[in-house]
Amino acid sequence: MTPLTAIWMKDFFVLRNLRRMLQRESVFKVTFILLFATGMMGGFFAMFLSGFRFLSEMGGGGFMITHRLFALFFLGLGLMLLMSNVITSYATIFKSRETLFLLTAPLDTRTLITYKFIESSLLSSWAFFFLMVPYTAAYAWHAHLGILFPVWTFLFAAPFVLLCGGIGALIALTAVRWFPRNRIFWAIMAGLVLGATVYGIVQIRPVMNENASFVLNRLLPGLQLASHPLMPNNWVAEGIMALTSGQWSRGLLLWLVLATNTAVLMLLVQWLGDGQFYNAFQRVAGAADLRRRPAELLSGLDKSLAFLPHDIRGMVMKDIRSFLRDPMQWSQALIFFGLLAIYFSSFRSFHYNEMPDLWRNLIVFLNIFSVSSVICSLAARFVYPQLSLEGHSFWILGLAPTGMRRILLTKFFLAALAMVAVSAGLMGLAAWMLQAGWALTALSVGLAIAVSLSTAALSTGLGAIFIDLKQPNPAAIISGFGGTMNLVFTLGFMLSVILPFGLIWHWHVTSGFNGTPFHQANIAATLWVVLLSSATISIPLWLGIRSLKHREY
Amino acid sequence: MINIRNLNKHFGAVQAVNDLSLSIPAGELFCFLGPNGAGKTTTIKMLTGLLRPDSGTIKIGEFDIQTQPVEAKRIMGYIPDMPFLYEKLTPVEFLKFVAGLYNINRPDLNDHIEASLRQFGLQEARNALIGELSHGMRQRLLYIGTFIHNPRVVLIDEPLIGLDPHSIRMIKDLLRAKVRDGMTILLTTHILALAQDIADRIGIISGGQLIALGKMSELQTQFGSNGTLEDIFLKLTSAP
Repeated sequence: MTPLTAIWMKDFFVLRNLRRMLQRESVFKVTFILLFATGMMGGFFAMFLSGFRFLSEMGGGGFMITHRLFALFFLGLGLMLLMSNVITSYATIFKSRETLFLLTAPLDTRTLITYKFIESSLLSSWAFFFLMVPYTAAYAWHAHLGILFPVWTFLFAAPFVLLCGGIGALIALTAVRWFPRNRIFWAIMAGLVLGATVYGIVQIRPVMNENASFVLNRLLPGLQLASHPLMPNNWVAEGIMALTSGQWSRGLLLWLVLATNTAVLMLLVQWLGDGQFYNAFQRVAGAADLRRRPAELLSGLDKSLAFLPHDIRGMVMKDIRSFLRDPMQWSQALIFFGLLAIYFSSFRSFHYNEMPDLWRNLIVFLNIFSVSSVICSLAARFVYPQLSLEGHSFWILGLAPTGMRRILLTKFFLAALAMVAVSAGLMGLAAWMLQAGWALTALSVGLAIAVSLSTAALSTGLGAIFIDLKQPNPAAIISGFGGTMNLVFTLGFMLSVILPFGLIWHWHVTSGFNGTPFHQANIAATLWVVLLSSATISIPLWLGIRSLKHREY
Repeated sequence: MINIRNLNKHFGAVQAVNDLSLSIPAGELFCFLGPNGAGKTTTIKMLTGLLRPDSGTIKIGEFDIQTQPVEAKRIMGYIPDMPFLYEKLTPVEFLKFVAGLYNINRPDLNDHIEASLRQFGLQEARNALIGELSHGMRQRLLYIGTFIHNPRVVLIDEPLIGLDPHSIRMIKDLLRAKVRDGMTILLTTHILALAQDIADRIGIISGGQLIALGKMSELQTQFGSNGTLEDIFLKLTSAP
């Protein structure tokens, strides 16, 4: 047996044991998770399908968008996959404890890097398939495509996933191996990227045709890039469509272009990994000792929080410092919110603010939806597991002269404060860029605050109820029953508060729903949000405190 | 069997290992002692190839760890102080995986694994997941995995952490038996009584430099003490 075969066998054993563990789990828990996953996919399918139908009803422009949207979809997914792969490759190749173990085995670097590259590509790809399946299914349903459409889609998706994984691994390897660690260098780089982004946003002027009521690029400026013949996402989109419509030679040509490019990239990863992985690993291994850290991070903030009770101040500073010292945490938050901030900042460049009320109203609610979705996913990723991640050091909190109630409420207020600041700031920016009226601005900011507070409370409370101090892996904590329940509840809350206002305002701009009935409906919806928020803030926190107090450690 | 020549390693301004030279012949159990931060773990990590020395050479058997890493690792075993084990594998699966990594194709592999599990008192746990095992059981499993390819050189960082008295006796007897069979073992420990009990030779490192080397009796003569290893160690490593 070769070492690589042994590694694959090990993964096979792990998967087999995971399946067995799943069989031992409670039926209710497994059914709940499966139903949730299926429900989400079904929801995505319905959303995509209604989107395609909406575009069809628009006529000529709609048909043009529908056709090119396929390429745009794979561009978007590809970019997300690429970013995800950069982070996952870094964690899988350099930071995993398994790498240390395998490095002491008689394994050549080429084998090690090949295995780690494929592992990180697979780990990053689940979300890609989770979104791709309902989208392509909706497209196939809408366009009445043949039964072989899913086969062609997977035929192209597999090399595309590896292609994005390859680029991500190359970026991670190159950055770790050669990029200077000097803080000034990184500050200059960050400044340049920020400057270039702002300049790009200001300079973007899509092609305008004053006579046209509707300009394609005005709505979707990424279409041109997505349809470029040199872009891999375009090979995927065009290739699938070619095979579906029976253009075999064109489809095969595009698949071969994609497959050969992927193969070359994989060779490049192997070659670079073989030559540079060990050097790069040495930089990571010595990094902790090379970095000169201040003895106390944010000591100024610590002093300015002197008005807080000493135990709360200690917990707050500990959590802030731990968060800032974990690049995996803040980089993900930065990517999510940074992308939204860049998108919202570009509204005026794309003249979204000059659109009719119907469109601006739609965009405002889509913005609320997107910011709230990001809040829910970040709460699931960071807030829910925070108590469990105290792990073996929980005894420090447990033995301290402070109560479980204070510990939990401190965690909640800190998370809520951060989430409210970011979400309300983003919604304010979006509304300002769209030149929305004061009422719509207040509504979007208010909804963002309600979602942030309730999501923080649900995640903190459920995180306490389903606390698992033995599990050091956040992914395992999140993917458990409590984590899934938390995601279901937060998403459910988000939809429950956004939809009533969405409907009221949609009728307002489309069906002349005005005057007293409109105001009364808004007051009723506001009361509903206040009541629901109060319940989702107080009940999970109360249950969480009770659970922590009665638990044996 | 282990040859270290003029080894240096620094992290930033800190010189972790300073011009270390050491030879350990085959069939010797060598104990590497030193206070916290003296450079013991850094040296072991350089011996395994996990860290690259700034200068100097390391030979494991006839192989240079930097230029012939695969060959050197093939004859070497390593037990770190904080070992990594695959939580979702059973002990049998883990041992077969390690055997595969070292390309062991002996026909009696299954029998050998079963015998080892019996010897280390893990037979009852053969079907459990490693994540479900106690700390002591995991440590014992790690020893089986390390010895499965019959290495000529074994490096052990803190061998007795978290073990009960029975397991400690078992490990001590095992290490002595392996050394009698010709295996070379380098271990680091803070338990000075253990070093005094089982080591053929002892080296004391402080500030990255080897400050004492020899058999227990030689150290007593060299440093004018008839006391225990603890007395010598404290005398040598106390702050001036």
